[in-house]
Amino acid sequence: MFKKFALVAVSALALAGCNDQAGSSGASRDVISAVGSSTVYPFATVVGERFASATGMKTPKIESTGTGGGMERFCAGVGAAHPDIANASRRMKKSEFDKCVANGVKDIVEIQVGIDGIAVGESIDGPKFALTPQDLYKALAAEVEGKPNTAKTWQDVNPALPAVAISVYGPPSTSGTYDAFKELILLKGCEADPKMKAMKDADKDAFEKNCTTLRGAPYYVEQGENDNLMIGKLAKNPNSVGIFGYSYLEENLSKVRGITLGGVAPEYDAIASGKYPGARPLFIYVKKAHIGVIPGIKEYVTEFLKGAADGGYLKEKGLIVSPADVTAKANAAANGMTTLDGAELK
Amino acid sequence: MNNEPASDRFVDPTPTDWNSAEMQARIRKRYASERRFKFLGLTAVVASAAFLAFLLLVMLGNGIGGFSQTRIALPIDFETAPIGLDPDLIRSGSGEAALAGADFRGLVDYAATEAYGPGADAWFSGGAWEIVRARIAADPDILLGKATFDLPAASDIDVANKGDGGAVSERAVADLERRGVISKSFNSAFLTGGDATDPALAGIWGALKGSLLTMAVTLALAFPIGVLASLYLEEYAPQNRWTDIIEVSINNLAAVPSIIFGLLALAVFINFFGMPTSSPLVGGLTLALMTMPVIVIAGRNAIKSVPPSIRDAALGVGASRVQVVFHHVLPLALPGILTGTIIGMARALGETAPLLLIGMRAFIADPPAGLSDAATVLPMQIFLWSDEVDKGFVEKTSAAIIVLLVVLLTMNALAVYFRNRFEKRW
Repeated sequence: MFKKFALVAVSALALAGCNDQAGSSGASRDVISAVGSSTVYPFATVVGERFASATGMKTPKIESTGTGGGMERFCAGVGAAHPDIANASRRMKKSEFDKCVANGVKDIVEIQVGIDGIAVGESIDGPKFALTPQDLYKALAAEVEGKPNTAKTWQDVNPALPAVAISVYGPPSTSGTYDAFKELILLKGCEADPKMKAMKDADKDAFEKNCTTLRGAPYYVEQGENDNLMIGKLAKNPNSVGIFGYSYLEENLSKVRGITLGGVAPEYDAIASGKYPGARPLFIYVKKAHIGVIPGIKEYVTEFLKGAADGGYLKEKGLIVSPADVTAKANAAANGMTTLDGAELK
Repeated sequence: MNNEPASDRFVDPTPTDWNSAEMQARIRKRYASERRFKFLGLTAVVASAAFLAFLLLVMLGNGIGGFSQTRIALPIDFETAPIGLDPDLIRSGSGEAALAGADFRGLVDYAATEAYGPGADAWFSGGAWEIVRARIAADPDILLGKATFDLPAASDIDVANKGDGGAVSERAVADLERRGVISKSFNSAFLTGGDATDPALAGIWGALKGSLLTMAVTLALAFPIGVLASLYLEEYAPQNRWTDIIEVSINNLAAVPSIIFGLLALAVFINFFGMPTSSPLVGGLTLALMTMPVIVIAGRNAIKSVPPSIRDAALGVGASRVQVVFHHVLPLALPGILTGTIIGMARALGETAPLLLIGMRAFIADPPAGLSDAATVLPMQIFLWSDEVDKGFVEKTSAAIIVLLVVLLTMNALAVYFRNRFEKRW
C-alpha cells in the first residue's frame, strides 16, 4: 500500500514538474490582459464582457492593481508575459513613459475613455454641509500658514459652518482617488490662500508638500480601498464627511448625499462640464506592439469607446461621458492607433 | 525513603485539625478558586462558541439569498418582434453568424416594454438576452410563434423582491406580483458560472475551480516534499550545526508573513522563470512555499512521537532502515502529519495576500481550463465582490463566503476520515 502511496506522490510531483515546463514556455496568449486603476476596473470589466459576447473571443483578464502598480507592470516590457493595456485614473507620468521606453515599450496609444468624479459626501442624516476646497484644506492640512493646525470643529475653519467636530473618511495614500483628491481639491483650496499662492511661485515642491500633508486621525481617517465600507461608516456617523468615487455616491443615494463644493453639487452635469472641482479623466493605454499579436485588442478598444460614447452602456455604470472634442480625439487615436508623444507628458 | 526521618524531626507531630475554623476557611478558599477557574474556562468556551455561531448565522442570513434568483416571465411574440431571424436561416450554414448579428438585447427590451409598459426593460438582467439566444439556438422553431421565457431579473428588482430595495423597485415588484409573473428559484448559474459584472449572472465556479487547481498544485508539492524533509531530518540527519541551522530556518519560515512569499513568487516564478501571471500554477507554487514549513514541523513532531521501541524491534528482526521508515514509522506518524497538512492547507485556502502580488486580483470571467490559465481563488473573489458598486453583490459576497466555508469543512472532514483510517493504537 505504501508503494502505491509513494508512486502517487512521485507521479504528482512529476506532473507538477511537467506543468512547470509547460508554463514557462507560454510565449503566446489568446486572452487580452489589462492592469491598473481600480476606478477604471468596473468599466473595463463590463466592456470585457460585451467584447466577449460580441466577438466570441475569450473574456479579457482585468486586474485591479491601482494606476501606479498597473503602469509598473505595463512598462516592464513587450511580450506575452506583459499586459497589453494599462487602465489609469490619471494621465501617464513622464517618468513612467521614460521607463516604458527604456524597457522597449516605445509605441503607446493614449485614449481618454471618460471622466470620473470624486464626490465629497455625508450621511443623509448629516448636517447638510456646504464646503469649499479651501475649507477642506484648512480642516485637513497638517500645517496651516506654517503653524500646526489647531482647528477642532468645522466652525473653527469657517464661521459659517456648524460647530461639528472635523472627521473625514478618505482613501489611503496608495489609491488614485487620493492622488486626485490632493490634486483637484486640496491644491485648489490651498491656492486660494494668497500666502500659499506666493509660495507656489517661489518654491513649487514646498508648496505641494505643505498643501497635501494631511493630519491623522481623528481628523482624516484612511478608509482602505473599499468604498462600500466607507458608505456604511458614514451612515453610522452622520457628522462625518467622506471622500469617494462618484459612482458610489450615485449607487447609494438612499444612504448618502453629495456635499456642494463652492456651491456646486457633485452631479452628473456639473462633473461632465468641469464645474465641479473633483473631476478627473480616465485613460486606457494600449501597447501598440501587441496589436495583431494578441488577438482582439483593436476590437476591445472599439468596444470600450462604443460603451463610453454618449448614450453608451458605461453611463449606467457611473462613467461620465467626456466632452465632444475629447471623445473625437479618443476616437481618432483609436482608429489610427496614433502613438503618444512623451514630450506632452509632465 | 531513607532520608525521610531527617525532615520529619521538624514537623509538628500533632495531627491536623480539619475542623478548625482556620482550616475550614482554607478549604473553602480552595474550592472557591477551583469553581472560579472552572467558570472562567466555561466562559471562554461559551464566548468563542457564541462568536462562531454569530458569524455563521450572519453569513447564512445574508448569503442564503445569493443562492436564489428572482425571475420574471417574459412573453415574446416573434410575429411582431423586431428580429430578422427564421428557423431555416439558423439551421443553415450561416446560422452562427445570423445569431451573432441579431439584436437580442433590443428584442428583450422591446418585448419587456410591450408586455409590462415603458421602463420595464430595466427590470431584466443585462444578460437576459443570452438566455433567449441560447434557447432559440437550441430550438429555432419557437421563432414561428409565441414563447414565454423565464428570465433573470435585474439586481435592483432582485434585491427588492428579497425585501431591501428602493421605492421604485418595490413598486415594480408589487406590480409584477399582481400579474403573477415574478418567481424565485434556485440560482444554479451561481454554482456553475464564472465571474460577471452583473450580479444576476455572476457565479462562483470560476473561483472555486481556481481554488481547487491551486490547492492541487500546493498539495502535490508541499506534501511529499514536506514529509520527505521531515523524515530525513528525524531519521537520517546527523545532529550537527547544519541541521540546527536548517531546523531554525524552517521554524522561522513558518512564521514569515505570507505577503513576503508573494513578493518572492513575483520575483522568482514570474519575473525570472517567466511563468504565466494569475495562473493556479504560480499560485499553487507560492502557497506550497508557505505550507511546506508547517507540514515539516508537524511531520517532525509526529515522527518524534513514534516510540523508539518500534524502530528497535523492527531493526532487531532484520528490517533495513528504509523498511523501518516506510513499514513502521511513517504509517504510525501519518495521522499527525495529516493533521499538520490540513492546518497548512486550510491556511493556504483562505490566503489572499501573496496572491495579490502574482496577479490574482483580477476579473476573470471564464473558468480556468488548466493550470496555466488565468484564474482567481475563492477568498480573492470574495474580496473583489465586496468592493463592487452594485448592491446585488452584497448577498453574493456572503454566498461566496458560505461556499468557501463548505469547501473548508469538506477538506477537514476528508482529513479527519483519513486520519481515523490510518490511526493505530497500541
